[in-house]
Amino acid sequence: MNPAVHLDGITKRFPGVVANDDVDLEVERGSVHALLGENGAGKTTLMNVLYGLYQPTEGIVRLDGEPQSFDSPRDAIDAGVGMIHQHFMLVDPMTVWENVVLGNEPKTWGGLRVDRAAAREAVVELSERYGFDVDPDATVADVSVGEQQRVEILKALYRGADVLIMDEPTAVLTPQEVEELYGVFEELTEQGKTIIFISHKLGEALSAADDITVLRDGVNVGTVAAADVTREELAEMMVGREVLMDPATPPQETGDRVLEVTGLSVEDDRGVEAVSDLSFELRAGEILGVAGVDGNGQSQLAEAITGLRESSSGDVRYRGEPMAGKTRRDRIERGMAFIPEDRQERGLVMSYDLTENAILGSQHDPPFARGGRLDWRASRDHAESVIEQYDVRPPDAGAEAESLSGGNQQKFIVGREFERDPDLVVATHPTRGVDIGSTEFLHDRLLELRAEGKAVLLVSSKLDEVQGLSDRLAVMHEGEFTGIVDPATVTEEEIGLLMAGESLDDESVEGAALHDDAGDGAGTGDAGDGDGADDSPGDEIDGSAGGGEGVDA
Amino acid sequence: MRNPLSLIVGTVGVLALLGILGLAFPESVAGDLAGIVFSTSTATSTARLAAPIVLAGLGGIFAEKSGVINIGLEGLLIISAFVSVYAASVVEIGSTVFGVPALAVGFLAGIAASTLLSAVFAVVCIEFKADQIIAGLAIWLIALGLAPFMSTVFFGGVNTPNLGASVGWRYSAALVLLATVGSWWLLNQTAFGKHLRAAGENPKALDTVGVSVSKVRYAGVLLSGVLSGVGGSALALSIGQFVGSGETMVQGKGFIAIVVYLFGNYNPIGALGAGTLFAGLQALQTRLQQLGYGIPSSLVETIPYVAVIVVLAFVGRTQIPEAAGEHYETEE
Repeated sequence: MNPAVHLDGITKRFPGVVANDDVDLEVERGSVHALLGENGAGKTTLMNVLYGLYQPTEGIVRLDGEPQSFDSPRDAIDAGVGMIHQHFMLVDPMTVWENVVLGNEPKTWGGLRVDRAAAREAVVELSERYGFDVDPDATVADVSVGEQQRVEILKALYRGADVLIMDEPTAVLTPQEVEELYGVFEELTEQGKTIIFISHKLGEALSAADDITVLRDGVNVGTVAAADVTREELAEMMVGREVLMDPATPPQETGDRVLEVTGLSVEDDRGVEAVSDLSFELRAGEILGVAGVDGNGQSQLAEAITGLRESSSGDVRYRGEPMAGKTRRDRIERGMAFIPEDRQERGLVMSYDLTENAILGSQHDPPFARGGRLDWRASRDHAESVIEQYDVRPPDAGAEAESLSGGNQQKFIVGREFERDPDLVVATHPTRGVDIGSTEFLHDRLLELRAEGKAVLLVSSKLDEVQGLSDRLAVMHEGEFTGIVDPATVTEEEIGLLMAGESLDDESVEGAALHDDAGDGAGTGDAGDGDGADDSPGDEIDGSAGGGEGVDA
Repeated sequence: MRNPLSLIVGTVGVLALLGILGLAFPESVAGDLAGIVFSTSTATSTARLAAPIVLAGLGGIFAEKSGVINIGLEGLLIISAFVSVYAASVVEIGSTVFGVPALAVGFLAGIAASTLLSAVFAVVCIEFKADQIIAGLAIWLIALGLAPFMSTVFFGGVNTPNLGASVGWRYSAALVLLATVGSWWLLNQTAFGKHLRAAGENPKALDTVGVSVSKVRYAGVLLSGVLSGVGGSALALSIGQFVGSGETMVQGKGFIAIVVYLFGNYNPIGALGAGTLFAGLQALQTRLQQLGYGIPSSLVETIPYVAVIVVLAFVGRTQIPEAAGEHYETEE
């Protein structure tokens, strides 16, 4: 039997770039096929060829053995190929059924009227057949992201798609929604549909796909059955060299207290308390990881520390200096760097080029600001150095931030913030949406910062990341630390319990991690602490108390 | 629908209060005012003034729903007002029965002129991706200069002579109602209406399902030209003359039309309600001037505009299409 999809020797050249080089890909009917690769490996280009957006320079697309020539996505849709984009192509204020039938509306009254009943009927019938739980009359803007994705799938099915291409389908989903999506995959393939999804996540490819094809630099590195391959082998295929899956955190002595947070409470935008009476401290040369389910106050904590959000009570001290009333700019000048979680909203100005973006936050300071004007030559040099050191692609300081892929945007932001030479880095989800090669690189950089004696507050929802990098790991639940644990000895089950808001038995929690305010009250305990050389978190409470005494004496 | 509804309720309330006061104290100012408000002449001139405002407003809905903000409605009204009178005068009103064929020709010519000008606007905005606000202002300024100029060339003055026959207010009212119902149908019941909305909210979504965003946007802008053309022609032909001095006889009705559709929240029925309200205020203002109240006329003339500000302050923000004003470029 012919494969449902056969890409035969596809080469796609753009001026100056070969995006796909003689790629062969065969996908069996009724299977789930993962197209795995790093950012810029040519996955999306290849799929754009399959659904007719691009015409291949060489090679041919076959469906069920029949050669096809697509001049536009319309042709591909007619031939039964549907594309589900990473950013959904939905009209938010319209209803689910209106979106599903958009462009192919059933009509009555000689075309003068959209046949609402027939359209709804078709949508209901499709969602029942594939077991989707979708309300046809709901407004798209009101339904969850997972549901919106199902609307996109329904759109493709409504147009008669047999082959569904999905671009990074899990990027915007919660873990529960990801599980639901895998269920949808099963329903679809049972009924003879073929699914190809683009991904750069190993785990996702391994758990959801039957077969995995790895692309690297536009070349097909190989196709393997998901059952016969390990994470390490896949990672090596993707990156082209052996990848250290778990970063090693060498032991290190910590230095002065860089950040002290005492009784901090912060409200979110709705005025609900998001951070409740939180106290901790962070020392030079230390990475404090903050784990937790998204939305438990991590964002508000990071914003309160960096000066982007006012705290309702409590105290943040940075290198012994109270930060109350200090603006974001004051804090940047004092060496506080911030990697925001929403890179497009807060990390970059999307319509600025990289030169302009490179000096955001430093625009008041030399060498970029001189005598009331900006020195664009210095800015450009700086942008180029960030681009080079952090391997941002394309390496063009004149490119608009908007034109970069998410992973490259992230690398650029991280580069800009690290190059400020900060004493404290507050990093929220620094590797979200970044491919594994770059993730490994960013992890190395974080560890280098630590070795240089910087303090890092690392907020991430990737458990292996916070666990692998941190010296101490705080688990956050509903605005409080349910525990600060030693990442080397804690188990995933224990972290899971803490994330759910339960506490652990005393012996498994690093009892010392939550600091007693008593010793910090004077805020001048640094001298006493610094020479303590207490690299084990377990000793810190004594060190801190000792510091207090030292001042008193 | 909430905004137009509260608007209608409020208007009816104010009118009822005025009526009661007027009946109770016929000798007072309230009695005078009530007499003016509830007079036939105010009603007929409201119908006449509502035509350009509501029709241009309906046109604005089509353009903006498709994603192109057309602030050149004023210009479209001006050009169609002049061209309709000119065309009717060429046919010669006096030589035809009740002037009907001449007026029909006037209407068609006015619509054609306005549509042509909107086509220029559409090409500049959609094909050449010009800034929509600047292009819209240019359309207004072109018409503002061109119409009186042509009037001077053809008639020897910025004001044309009177044709000697005119379109009755009943026809204006009928046109407005017909256009409102038709627009509502087109927007809410047809596939075109859905495409229009998608083009203004998320053009990429429309593009990926194989519908041309440019075509839909061209259609939206051209429809704004057609409807404004009907409105401008109805305005000029209801009097039988084009007045080209100052801001011309259109006098900002195209700008009020923008307020009217924003105010009606892009709903044709809402635009009809808001348009009638503003037309009524303008009619009232004219009557007050004629009666010679001791209020300076320039102050009275500001009533509709003050009303716009007051009303907008209460109505607040409306649902502007997400991609309105943004250019769209299809990939590859």
